[in-house]
Amino acid sequence: MGTTVIRAERLTTKYEKFTVFSNLSTEIKKGKITTIIGPNGCGKSTLLKTIGRILKQQSGEVFLQEQDMKGISTKAIAKQLALLSQNPEAPLQLKVEELISYGRFPHRKNVGTLSSKDMEVINWAMDITKTSAFRTREIAQLSGGQRQKVWLAMALAQETSILLLDEPTTYLDLAHQLEVLQIVDRLNKEHRCTIVMVLHDINHAARFSDELIAMKNGEIINVGPPEKIIAKDVLKEVFHIDARIMVDPENGSPVCYGYDALPECE
Amino acid sequence: MHNKYRSRFFINMLFLTGAILLAIYIHITNGTFDMSVKDIVTTLLRMNPTNEFDLVIFQFRLPRIVIAALVGLGLGIAGTVVQGITRNGLADPGILGINAGAGASIVIFMFFFQMELAVSGSSNWLSILIMPIFGFVGGLAAAILIYVFAWTNGKLDTQRLILSGIAICTGFGALSLYISLKMRESDFEMATVWMSGSIYNANWMFIIAMIPWLIILIPVIYRKAHLLDYFQLEEVSIKSLGIQVEKEKAILLLSSIGVISACVSVSGSIGFIGLIAPHIARQLVGIHHRYVLPASAAIGMFLVIFSDYLARTIFAPAEIPVGIIVAILGVPYFLYLLIKTKA
Ligand SMILES: Nc1ncnc2c1ncn2[C@@H]1O[C@H](COP(=O)(O)OP(=O)(O)OP(=O)(O)O)[C@@H](O)[C@H]1O
Ligand SMILES: [Mg+2]
Repeated sequence: MGTTVIRAERLTTKYEKFTVFSNLSTEIKKGKITTIIGPNGCGKSTLLKTIGRILKQQSGEVFLQEQDMKGISTKAIAKQLALLSQNPEAPLQLKVEELISYGRFPHRKNVGTLSSKDMEVINWAMDITKTSAFRTREIAQLSGGQRQKVWLAMALAQETSILLLDEPTTYLDLAHQLEVLQIVDRLNKEHRCTIVMVLHDINHAARFSDELIAMKNGEIINVGPPEKIIAKDVLKEVFHIDARIMVDPENGSPVCYGYDALPECE
Repeated sequence: MHNKYRSRFFINMLFLTGAILLAIYIHITNGTFDMSVKDIVTTLLRMNPTNEFDLVIFQFRLPRIVIAALVGLGLGIAGTVVQGITRNGLADPGILGINAGAGASIVIFMFFFQMELAVSGSSNWLSILIMPIFGFVGGLAAAILIYVFAWTNGKLDTQRLILSGIAICTGFGALSLYISLKMRESDFEMATVWMSGSIYNANWMFIIAMIPWLIILIPVIYRKAHLLDYFQLEEVSIKSLGIQVEKEKAILLLSSIGVISACVSVSGSIGFIGLIAPHIARQLVGIHHRYVLPASAAIGMFLVIFSDYLARTIFAPAEIPVGIIVAILGVPYFLYLLIKTKA
């Protein structure tokens, strides 16, 4: 079911001497929302950065629409795939709309001025993320949550069919977390974007994803729909917790309504 | 949406141009031999020229001013680029050891090809033309060393960049000193004066030697100025936009090294300009590099012309190396920046 848009084959990625994962393979389905979950430091960001060609793998291949990414220019990739970093930074004096306009880089021909098409996409990105209200403010004058949405808008301005989002809900309060995830959902449903994201909230992951990838210590423990992954045995293996799970009567997705730490040794 | 920045830029450039013209005016009219503007204009326009005026203007003051202007321009631009690609406001070609690398290589050149010959005018124009190339080799060596020490995980590590720069700077400085100690006495004196940054033995040949470097490399840098804006984001976001970060950084860095080498080969190592000029420029015109770059160039020009005027006149008829004047102005500013970034 569904075609594969990104296929990673036998990936090995290292930081200097430290190998985060080796021989890791996975597939991302086109038009779906895939969420990577797993404990801190297990390699989620590293995986996302490797399939987004930000980090160079030691060995293995990543195929984008069945084409080896090593053979595609980085600018051509940037027209198909945008990545929102876990901890993005920008000069504090930069204006919001300017930062968002940076997302147009791969599409721009001349450096001086933005075309009307550029402006159109920028405005669309600001509309959908509800950031137009502070478009002329400086980054310094935004709250953490507002910044997060501006960064999302910049990724959207790249106008790609694939979005890789590393913890897009950090810094956000409960309502805004939901808002961002609804934006993501809308992009997926209305604009047919393929989404790969990292989330720490497994209930959000369950509710908004078609597919979950559960990672631990640089290995993919399990892949599948939320019903399969948000389950006692998987969560025990991945997070070492004893989770209590039920089905949300409102939307049918599994919910972890409580959990306890498991004793250290078994 | 850039109109506000643009008018701010043009107003500041107008003001800076005025400041530069004023510095030139002071520099050309004052000295052991005072001249009026009228004398200068008539001399420049070749209306009843006198040998005296010709000598002072064309042989002494004008080449100095032109060199001061070009060196200031080059260092202002190179400093902006280095700060831009390292994302570090305290970076400066001097601190990174590029000046020292170029300097050491030129000292070696002087040692083998005899300083006196090199500067004693037109008979040896070839060696003057070759000096920037030597400088470039040394600057390049410094840059390669920086890359070797600061390259981790396929990218330049900013912290390590600065640290290895300081080490490289010290190393090349020591090398220059060692070689200059081996020189004949007369060469040694010239070499030390030159190393501390001076332009008082300026002549037109030096200008001809440095101009091609500036004419070729500055447009390369200016065309990539907008990338320096993107480089202020963190690594992941820049790469995600489809910018070939390492390649573009290498082009920008190499071009800057070329510019610096041309400057160092004529004036020795004048520090701090590459540090201060971009800072003041950002205060004046904001953070957009297509504005910061020309503003920093203009500020660099002004600072070096004015400092050279001071170097020439404060203890007249004795000269102090302009690099020392710049350092006297620059050190407090550097400390101020250090304190400000800490707070
Ligand atoms: N730049 C780096 N240099 C060296 N090691 C790194 C670097 N970045 C990450 N690591 C290590 O690689 C491993 C995986 O890191 P990664 O950032 O992929 O984890 P993560 O799953 O995204 O964690 P988190 O949930 O905390 O974001 C960790 O053990 C981390 O310590
Ligand atoms: Mg992470």
